[in-house]
Amino acid sequence: MWDVIGLWIGWLLMLMIYSYPLYKENPAFRTAEHMFIGVTLAISIITNFSNVMRMCVTPLMQGNILMIVPLVLGLMIFSMLIPEYQWVSRYPIGLLVGTGFGLGIRGTIKPNLQDAIIDTITAPTSGGAMAWFNFLYVAVGLICSIMYFMLTFEHKGPLQGPTRIGRLFIMVGLGGYFGNTVLFRFTMLTGRAQFFLQVLKLIPM
Amino acid sequence: MSVLSKLANVDSRVFYWILFIALMVPFLSPIGFPITIAENTRELYEGITEDEVNEGDVWIMNFGYGVSAWPECHPSVTVCTKALFREGAKIIFMGPHYDVELTYNKIHDTVREDFANKVYGEDYVFLGYITGGESAIAQLASNIRSVYPTDHFGTPLDQIPMMQGVNTHEDIAGVLSSDTGDYGVHFMTQWQAAYGSKLAEIGIAMNGSTDLPRWQAGNYFGLSIGSRGGAELEILIGELGEATTAMDSISVSHLLLIFAVILGNIGMVVQRRSS
Repeated sequence: MWDVIGLWIGWLLMLMIYSYPLYKENPAFRTAEHMFIGVTLAISIITNFSNVMRMCVTPLMQGNILMIVPLVLGLMIFSMLIPEYQWVSRYPIGLLVGTGFGLGIRGTIKPNLQDAIIDTITAPTSGGAMAWFNFLYVAVGLICSIMYFMLTFEHKGPLQGPTRIGRLFIMVGLGGYFGNTVLFRFTMLTGRAQFFLQVLKLIPM
Repeated sequence: MSVLSKLANVDSRVFYWILFIALMVPFLSPIGFPITIAENTRELYEGITEDEVNEGDVWIMNFGYGVSAWPECHPSVTVCTKALFREGAKIIFMGPHYDVELTYNKIHDTVREDFANKVYGEDYVFLGYITGGESAIAQLASNIRSVYPTDHFGTPLDQIPMMQGVNTHEDIAGVLSSDTGDYGVHFMTQWQAAYGSKLAEIGIAMNGSTDLPRWQAGNYFGLSIGSRGGAELEILIGELGEATTAMDSISVSHLLLIFAVILGNIGMVVQRRSS
């Protein structure tokens, strides 16, 4: 019973949200939007609070005294809400930034630089003409795109040709990104269309 | 007024209605567009089946997507869960979205028959929500219990049979990260690059352009891109599901969009010439 009611509420809220492209800002859209924000915020607060209790407070109560350190650091962040004590929050934030930066450097060099460069400059050993075409396409695209961002020299003379080609490659790349974005958004819309029909029992759930 | 001028002045809401109806028709009357299998998807499937998975291996399945991305990620996750269970692997489910519990319930629905033969705590475990981004994923590699002292339901990990002796990246056979954002990258930088862990990505189509070079460079042993990847995996496992059904609808919507772009450009060229 409650499942059915939940489905119909979801169906109705979906239509209220989709009223925006059809009828611009309207009361139905705003109601659904505000409900969404409120419920999301509530779930987020509860989930994160439970997580702090599970990861930190419960072990602390069970005698793991070291857990007081992250708990105090976490509480220090809230000092940014009090203007005269805002400086206190800089210490935990500085720790977070430093840790994140260190971890990022440790992990990023190999996959994002070393592996990517090796894969780009390694000539194909199989795959025939198409593999070679792809290899050269990537090589030319990479060199010309990097040259496009070489702003020390004016893009004239010998630099004019490669930088123009580089710009074309960047446009093709952005087109690819945009195409993938459209695919993602349409898939989400397709999911909603499927849900629309499922609730109406026109297709199986 | 010419036909093109009339079309140029049509209310955009008409196009929205046409689009929404066009999306729904293939669900009511499937067309059956052919689906070819991409190499990255095939390698993902081959990496979680047959000789690549031993009975009793422990894998991590990261639900890095919320409810809104179910159509994109969930079909691939469904197939991968089925494949791993059928090879006798054990699975740790977890996720960085606060609606991770809904996705965990959803996987029980979509993999119902396989879950029926499995026992919680022995064949699979749900650790629940994880927060802390890259730092938490790095810590997970060195000490799972420091990130998850208990499972989602409050049972200490030491009391869960499946988790006996499982505490670091060395005890994990592989990671499948399905996400809409950064968590696949976090596993790549903090697990695959740092320790050489076996990692595959189940990503959304929007991230396909950035994920493909990582698969080509060997950082991911396999890659499924969006609902299309899900449809390919459904064909590979031989059980067609919601992604295959949705592909017709997506294809129709794209054809409509291409048609609209071409029509719009023709209209613009004609209007420019006439003025």
